[in-house]
Amino acid sequence: MKNMKEDELKNLLQEIDRMAGQPGSTRVDVSSVRRRANRRRLTYRAGPAAAAAVVMIALSIWSTSIRTPGPMDEQKQIASLESQVRQLQASTNAAMNLIHEVLENERRQSQLDKLEAELASIPDPLEEIQRQVDETAFILVYQADRLHRELNDTESAVETYKRVIKLFPRNQWATVARERLSQIEDS
Amino acid sequence: MVEKTDDELLVEEFSRGDETAFDRIVERYSTGVGALANRLLGWPGEVEDVSQEVFLAAYLGLKRFRGECSLKSWLFTITMNKCRSHRRRQLLRLRTSSQVADKAKPPSAQTASTNPMDAETFNRVRNAVGALPAKYREPVVLRYIEELGADEIARILGISQNALHVRLSRARKHLKQHLDSRME
Repeated sequence: MKNMKEDELKNLLQEIDRMAGQPGSTRVDVSSVRRRANRRRLTYRAGPAAAAAVVMIALSIWSTSIRTPGPMDEQKQIASLESQVRQLQASTNAAMNLIHEVLENERRQSQLDKLEAELASIPDPLEEIQRQVDETAFILVYQADRLHRELNDTESAVETYKRVIKLFPRNQWATVARERLSQIEDS
Repeated sequence: MVEKTDDELLVEEFSRGDETAFDRIVERYSTGVGALANRLLGWPGEVEDVSQEVFLAAYLGLKRFRGECSLKSWLFTITMNKCRSHRRRQLLRLRTSSQVADKAKPPSAQTASTNPMDAETFNRVRNAVGALPAKYREPVVLRYIEELGADEIARILGISQNALHVRLSRARKHLKQHLDSRME
């Protein structure tokens, strides 16, 4: 009994799943994944460096504030602090430059991806022409069919079939037109 | 010597710095990951964001993947975690905005016309599955829809097989209560 119920549930759920169908899109943009991963890695690297810089500055300020130095010591400490601040400034600038560079690269890459996508979405002109030829030939055959079957105007229909054969001799609809012509001739 | 599977080779190639190996992994598993996310989230139809998150996490963690389970199981585990986070975020958003929007994709005209199940039953079952707590819904999806083996499901969920059977049994009980007329 338990197994029966389990099977029934399984069938029911699978039926629901079939009805729901596949998700709209399962496409994964790999280049976007890479960009986001690089950004995240950069943040992970830059974050601790910035935190370390803040801690160092705080420690320096704290160590100077708890001492009561003489005038010479004070000058040395100030000089040392200034040098530390300069070093920190330099390393911060380097990190910021790196971040800007990576972001700029990402922006360029993103633009490039968009352009590539746009380019890919432009239809091939030759394919487009072929499609239009197919469409035109189909319309002519369709009109000829109506002339022949619905309006009993065999003469115009034959003329239109012949036009399709003449204009688009290698098209699939020219083959259909030939078949129709031979049917008319046989009848 | 034990022969390596395609997946193991792909992971190895990626670890050696071959970025195209990741493209092939995405190509191989994006449909499966998308389908699982769709099922775990109650068939909303749009799961592109979750899939993207799954493969981002996979990209960042693939070098640490030790092959203790199959690549598919590993990706499914990530998918499950990402779906949990996604649902949490959704709930939070719903609570703050106090808006309940049913984003479920209706069955297509073709499937609806050829399928014996009507839209009302479809929604009833979908809602019943969606109403299950995550710890019951996940094993139900993995067992009855994905049709994975008990050991694989237990590994993905990080629980013992006994615990899995208990959860499945309770999930069935929950569903039976919701769908009594259909199940009896």
